[in-house]
Amino acid sequence: MGVSIASIKQSIFRVLEYALAFLVIISLNFALPRMMPGDPFLHLSGEVDEVLTFYSQKQVQYFREYYGLDRPIHEQFLTYLKELAVGDLGFSYYYKEKVSTIILDRLPWTVFLVVSAMALSLILGIALGSYSAWRRNQWQDQVLYTVLIVFSEIPAFLVGLALLIGLAAGLGWFPLAGAATPFAGYSSVWEKIVDILHHAALPILTLTLARTGGIYLLVRNSLGTVLTKDYMVTARAKGLKEFRIRYLHALRNALMPLFTRVAIQLGALLGGAILAENVFSYPGLGLLMRSAVVVRDYPLIQGIFLVLAVGVMAANMLADLAYKYIDPRTRPAAGLKPGAALPLPAGGEKGDA
Amino acid sequence: MAKKILLGLKSTWQNLSISGKVAVAILILLLAMAIFAPFLSWLPHYRSSGPPLHPPGWPHLLGTDELGVDIWAMICYGARVSLAVGLGTALLAGLGGGIIGIFAAFKGGWVDRFVMRLIDIMIALPDLPVMIVLAAFFGPSLLNIIIVLSLFSWSIPARVARAGALSLKEQPYIKMAAHYGAGPFYLLMRHYIPELLPLILVSMIRLAGMAIVAEASLAFLGLGDPTSRSWGLIINHAVNFKGIYFTEYWKWWLLYPWLFLTLLVTSLALLGRDLERIADPRMVRMGVRS
Repeated sequence: MGVSIASIKQSIFRVLEYALAFLVIISLNFALPRMMPGDPFLHLSGEVDEVLTFYSQKQVQYFREYYGLDRPIHEQFLTYLKELAVGDLGFSYYYKEKVSTIILDRLPWTVFLVVSAMALSLILGIALGSYSAWRRNQWQDQVLYTVLIVFSEIPAFLVGLALLIGLAAGLGWFPLAGAATPFAGYSSVWEKIVDILHHAALPILTLTLARTGGIYLLVRNSLGTVLTKDYMVTARAKGLKEFRIRYLHALRNALMPLFTRVAIQLGALLGGAILAENVFSYPGLGLLMRSAVVVRDYPLIQGIFLVLAVGVMAANMLADLAYKYIDPRTRPAAGLKPGAALPLPAGGEKGDA
Repeated sequence: MAKKILLGLKSTWQNLSISGKVAVAILILLLAMAIFAPFLSWLPHYRSSGPPLHPPGWPHLLGTDELGVDIWAMICYGARVSLAVGLGTALLAGLGGGIIGIFAAFKGGWVDRFVMRLIDIMIALPDLPVMIVLAAFFGPSLLNIIIVLSLFSWSIPARVARAGALSLKEQPYIKMAAHYGAGPFYLLMRHYIPELLPLILVSMIRLAGMAIVAEASLAFLGLGDPTSRSWGLIINHAVNFKGIYFTEYWKWWLLYPWLFLTLLVTSLALLGRDLERIADPRMVRMGVRS
């Protein structure tokens, strides 16, 4: 079966939906500084340990002009869209640099954490999940299930704090902060890589621990269902090798729901990464966002928000579209209404960052 | 009616797994702690009552922070903040989302499609960055936090309620009732709401847990309500104390709020998971939770 008209139509609908979502995010970002209660830039804020941020008359004037608040609203929105289109996210007055430059500088660290944690938790989750499914209801399954469920329910930043206290502060096995030893003169590239991995180990471990439980559960349940299917009996009847049955027949079918699940959970993973970066003072976007909040650098806060939100939505859109071509079951059959397609196999799960 | 509820509670209790029962016990203790905070702590929670950074002992059961405020007292009163946020969000988002979900299933057609797409978007949107931005722009008050959390979590009860209502819609006895002339309002009050309420209540437990985590996360990042003294805020102050890891202080200042917060959210989550299993085993298969 090739690509049918109905499936193209459905894909176009999907893209339009996401376009709408992007518009919502961008509008929200545009509206925020304009919706702030009272006079936006007379907003005074101080926290117990933080520097008190006060805006002088001059700064208020600067912000008014910066956001173009003296012009009509639709004109402001158009200018905003035009700037976004050329990748201009604004100017950070605290760092005295373009927001896009600062973000590009920090983005790789966050991507590194998120991608490594996702890869590790996928490997762990699939391995443990299939082990559990083969041993369903035996003691190995019961123990794994209990341990992983409890771990997955503890929020990432609390796990991170425990790791920081135990392994970094207590035992001294890992550095307390940062992404690399400051002012270190590396004698080789290899040494540099080891240093970076050493610093990233705990944040990645934190995120992996928080994510593995969900993937484990999904694989365990999904494989459990697949194992009862008729084609498993057929495969055995054909006299196929156990290895072939397990990995080519069962696991491949069981992993389908994982695909959308991983994309949906990207948002939660990113939330976890923001917190983990703050626990371990890891110099990614999450730490940057917090320092931007502390000094009330609004253009920077907005820029980071936009990059994170659009990134997650884009990843979801790609996964959504790709899924249709990977799993033939979700392609609409001829005569079936696109809206009334089959239910997605994996429900998303929000939160538990 | 009261007897029926008691019987329901009893059978639910009997069906709970061991982890679920432990979770209930912990939650009852923490709830009691929040309610009886003034009787449990004999020192003030808002001002200094002893030497700063005093290790646990008498009269400071869990020690003091850098201003000499008693940590046990702060933890007792902090339980109130966590539970208020959890309860407030669960009620607002649970009832709001439940109504939206039932309405969508009931109406069907484009209303249903619109709600489903909205839910998809809400699920995909990364909530923590949005919460940070909103808290940064609108100022961090407890009420704001509850409203923002509700805006971001109504999709869970909405989806549960919608799925439940859709399967009820096909039940013969409901079709029969409609056939005999039962109006939509009667059907809602007599069948849909009583049948779906347990499911929505169960999802509210999960919501409460998520809201408490979210409040603690925001407070940890320094975006909590500065007047609220929640557990997350104690952690925030402890972590931001310069060089705390090179001292002994974390052994009480950081450890105890961490311990109580972990106990609370883990218990809520484990109880929620257990109740989901009891309330409707089909939900697991349908993928609402997996």
